[in-house]
Amino acid sequence: MELETIRSYDWGIMAPELIILGAATILSLADLLMPKKASRRYLAIFAFLGVACALVALFMQLDNGVISILADTYRFDSFSKAFKLLFLIGTGLILLLAFDDRKGERDEYRGEFYYLLLTALLGAMMMASSADMITLFVGLELLSLSSYIMAGLRKRDRQSNEAAFKYVVNGGISTAITLFGMSYIFGLTGETNLYAIQNALGDPTILQNQFLLVFAFLITFVGLSFKIATVPFQMWAPDVYHGAPIPVTAFLSVVSKAAGFVIMIRFLLVTFIAAPGVAEKPLLQEVQPYLAILAGASMIIGNLIALRQRNIKRMFAYSSIAQAGYILVPFAVISGLMFEAVWFYLLAYLFMNIGVFAIIQLVTAKSGSTDISSFAGLYRRSPWIAVCMTIFVLSLAGFPATAGFIGKFGIFMSALSTGAHYWLAGIMIATTVVSYFYYFNVIGQMFFRSEEEAGKVSIPGGVLTVTAVCVISTLVLGILPHTALEFFYNQFDLSQFFTPTK
Amino acid sequence: MMQYAWLIPLMPLLSFILLLLLGKKLKEASAYVGIWLTAVPLVMSFIVFFGQWGGESYKAEGTWLTIGHAVITFGIEINPLNSLMLVIVSLVSFLVHLYSKGYMNGDERVPVFFAYLGLFTFAMLGLVMSPNLLQLYMFWELVGLGSFLLIGYYYFKPEARQAAKKAFIMTRIGDVGLFIGMILLFWQVGSFEFDDIFKAVASHEMTHAMITLTAILIFVGAIGKSGQLPLHTWLPDAMEGPTPVSALIHAATMVAAGVYLVATMYPLFAASTAALTTVAVVGGVTAIFAASIGLMQKDIKRVLAYSTVSQLGYMMLALGSGGYVAGVFHLTTHAFFKALLFLAAGSVIHAVHTQDIEKMGGLYRKLKRTGPLFLIGALAISGFPLLSGFFSKDQILAATYEDGRFGLFWLAIIAAFFTAFYMFRLFFMVFTGEFRGAAKEVHESPGVMTFPMIVLGILAVLAGYVNTSWFGTFLSDYLGKGEVAPLASNHEPIWISVVATLVSLLGIFMAYLIYKKGSLSRDWLSRHLPSLSSVVYNKYYIDEVYHAVIVRGVRAFSYGWSLIDRYIVEGIVNGAVALVHWLAKLGSKCQNGQVQTYGAVAFVGLVLLLLIFAVSGGYFS
Amino acid sequence: MSSLPLPVFLVLALILFCIGLFGALTKRNAVIVLISIELMLNAVNINLVAFSKYGPNPGITGQIFSLFTITVAAAEAAVGLAILFALYRNRRTVNVNEMDQLKR
Repeated sequence: MELETIRSYDWGIMAPELIILGAATILSLADLLMPKKASRRYLAIFAFLGVACALVALFMQLDNGVISILADTYRFDSFSKAFKLLFLIGTGLILLLAFDDRKGERDEYRGEFYYLLLTALLGAMMMASSADMITLFVGLELLSLSSYIMAGLRKRDRQSNEAAFKYVVNGGISTAITLFGMSYIFGLTGETNLYAIQNALGDPTILQNQFLLVFAFLITFVGLSFKIATVPFQMWAPDVYHGAPIPVTAFLSVVSKAAGFVIMIRFLLVTFIAAPGVAEKPLLQEVQPYLAILAGASMIIGNLIALRQRNIKRMFAYSSIAQAGYILVPFAVISGLMFEAVWFYLLAYLFMNIGVFAIIQLVTAKSGSTDISSFAGLYRRSPWIAVCMTIFVLSLAGFPATAGFIGKFGIFMSALSTGAHYWLAGIMIATTVVSYFYYFNVIGQMFFRSEEEAGKVSIPGGVLTVTAVCVISTLVLGILPHTALEFFYNQFDLSQFFTPTK
Repeated sequence: MMQYAWLIPLMPLLSFILLLLLGKKLKEASAYVGIWLTAVPLVMSFIVFFGQWGGESYKAEGTWLTIGHAVITFGIEINPLNSLMLVIVSLVSFLVHLYSKGYMNGDERVPVFFAYLGLFTFAMLGLVMSPNLLQLYMFWELVGLGSFLLIGYYYFKPEARQAAKKAFIMTRIGDVGLFIGMILLFWQVGSFEFDDIFKAVASHEMTHAMITLTAILIFVGAIGKSGQLPLHTWLPDAMEGPTPVSALIHAATMVAAGVYLVATMYPLFAASTAALTTVAVVGGVTAIFAASIGLMQKDIKRVLAYSTVSQLGYMMLALGSGGYVAGVFHLTTHAFFKALLFLAAGSVIHAVHTQDIEKMGGLYRKLKRTGPLFLIGALAISGFPLLSGFFSKDQILAATYEDGRFGLFWLAIIAAFFTAFYMFRLFFMVFTGEFRGAAKEVHESPGVMTFPMIVLGILAVLAGYVNTSWFGTFLSDYLGKGEVAPLASNHEPIWISVVATLVSLLGIFMAYLIYKKGSLSRDWLSRHLPSLSSVVYNKYYIDEVYHAVIVRGVRAFSYGWSLIDRYIVEGIVNGAVALVHWLAKLGSKCQNGQVQTYGAVAFVGLVLLLLIFAVSGGYFS
Repeated sequence: MSSLPLPVFLVLALILFCIGLFGALTKRNAVIVLISIELMLNAVNINLVAFSKYGPNPGITGQIFSLFTITVAAAEAAVGLAILFALYRNRRTVNVNEMDQLKR
């Protein structure tokens, strides 16, 4: 590659990524060079500023059309814009959470956390913008490796160690499975560029290897389902969410999960859109029942096992498995409403779940236990916190006038729009009813129990900001969903998603 | 005025927010905030109602959400039916606020209570003003949340906690039906607007099977909210809430929302005979079922709760039999007399501090205002001639008869007998005879509590005259004005009135014999059982025959139903819950903490997927 | 040299993958588990290289892909071992079976 070509690229469109990369580099150097005793807490502010700058840079590019650079491996389009927005907002909120996590304690690895969070974010953003299997994979691994370390950040905490180890072993297996599927996709087409693969798979000669193609699809799908924690790769999630520090759990359950959906949509939809299946139907239609079964199983397993949990972090881990099952529905039925349904739900989920974890962090830090009884009588101790938590939990349960309702509504509409998915919609509704039991258990603890321990829960500034932002967004998205959807329709033209740049 | 109608629901919302923010400072004064902020909507509702009387329907809405190409709107609509509901809801809500001022006096958490009341009233008013199904559904859920909070108000009682959860989840099960029905309608019609749906129904855009399916699904929602079989069990349990709440939610407003839903969606139901039959049968069976259980209850509020379930069944029966006006009419009169009965019961409980009717008695002399008012309510609900319940129940019977559902007609007649019987059993046991309780001094409730009861008492007497065949059919004319409301003719055969009257008088008389006079006889017999020779006492012997044959029969009947209720209906519900828990236990057992198991599960899952695909895709063939 | 047909390589890779998977799911020693995962990743490399040379549509990008895979696998092994070190310091064991504090 000539120097000329490298210089001719429009590097400006990578500004958000470059800003995050720069911030992460500076943070790691600062962490290295700062005196040992100095508090690393304030590095969070720097990291937050980096995320904010990246967000501004992203907003300045909103009007750009589709641009590809780096030999078409990096692609800037509406899809990447829409989801990078989610990642940046989510990470920004988590940084604020982390700022107040275990404030009083001396935590020598705090500095590491901030730049690892940024590199993980960088990996997610690369995934949103990749148009090549190799860069997608590298982005995925950047995210994964950073998250493994973050999960085990509390080196002296046994639960944190164990969580990290389980995460890395399962993650390694999932990576191998994903790659195995990818290697067959490469083998059948001889291409790594997604649009080139799409083109090659549309070619009738592929029919000689039709079974292998479907196998490759299913293997890759199962490998990727690790990231979004759905059946069959869901079992690591409760243990890891339980053991990891709370900001990390929030990151895993929100940003990392969203990134998993991004790679699934980007990779599997773009490449397989024109692929023929074994029977007369196209491949994507042929695998629909399998994806639908996996989505249904995730909802059932997540919601049912959540019923038995006494540990609040585990409960929300199972809840997040179920939520991922819901989000998988539009993908499984491949409806025309898929993008907005997934995007809106992930946006809503981002706010409500980060809100939940913000409050869990507050309450469990106060009580020193992650048992659900820490929430007993919260309404009488700190009414505002209890009301906020109620809003988040109601939203997760899909109660009207919250963002979660509109999100579920959109998914439900998409499930019925393509017809004949009544049973999937039925499972979704039935498991939603089941989910009310455990979500209301939390509400019941807060409102209908007398407090086991006295004392108001105080809110530090960072968590206060996060909670306020999340509550307001959850309600605004629930009452005026038009604002977000209008923005989505105006800014993001997703018809460009399936077509190559030139 | 109409353009300001949207302010009506916002007032109670304002009360909710104010009390949430300032409740701790206001303390007892919170009651005034609540009362004033429901008084204003009451006045406005009346203005809207009378404006509606002469004027046109009013509708205002704006775009709220765009999904695909469908535009979903948000706004308000005022039509004859919902302006009537506005008046009922805001009136009962106002009276209950007033009453609560006295009833909840001394409770520490008064601000919270009035805040919840405000939230509930807001949701209920919002519900009746919704111009489309989606908006209705959202308020419908909010109403459920308000009811959850109010039932669980005495959170320190485990029963109250349980009841609150049960109420919420049972009604949610019904809501699932409503939700699915709503989405299905949307995909058929392309809109949630009531008007568009009715247009599509009228122009045969939807297949008949689809109309039936969606109507029944929507009715499932109504079953949950209105406590119809088999989702009724939450309603008696919900009596754990404060009594004013029972009067507001479980008599006049929320439970009536199910009936209102069916009435609002009436053109859809009317287009399908099967759907109407379902509504009628569920309503009729519920009416007799709940009434027969009511015969046996010992808790004053539970009697009223079962009576509510039974009366709601009547309304459903009316709607299912084409008696649109009769159903709405009974909804109106029932709201008044049942709220009255609950408030009076609350006044009794306030005085004697127990809900067990075995521990009451002779209260008529002590509660000089509550007693007569309760009597008015009891007469009205029993269908005593010239009181409101008489007219509305009469029209329901007539509609059922006219529709040719003779089986349901006779069930309804028997249910009417039961109703009269258990209401007067309650009356005689509570208000006559000797006082059997422990309370030393029994006081009449303060004026702030009796005033709402007096208002409701007057309405319970007079509300019937808005729709009688010989005095004037104002209600029919009014409701018929909106063209969506199909009308049933009002030419009832006169003998139905006669039979209904006789049946209710018979019920009252039987209750009198057994619980007023019969209490003497039982007392006497227990002492003089061996010497039954004297002719004089044969009179009592006849009573005893009554007791043996009829009362025992009825009791056995009632017992049988309550067995069904306990073991079959609850059994199915509990069985489902047990299954869910068993599955959950199984699932969490797999989560054994071994990282390699997790990997293995994923691998087995993958292999299964590939195998199923290979077999079903024909790889091996 | 190119006498061996493509399926031979694919079957070799598949066998290697399965051995790796078996090791990762059954071995009690955590170090062996991590090594087994490496084996699975290397099976993928054989696939990629074989496809890029003998595949129906040969192309050089497969070999580039395998270079990336090797790098990432090394990073993953490093991270996995580091985490295992931390765990070993606290628990004094590398037995996978004993790492079950978090469950249910």
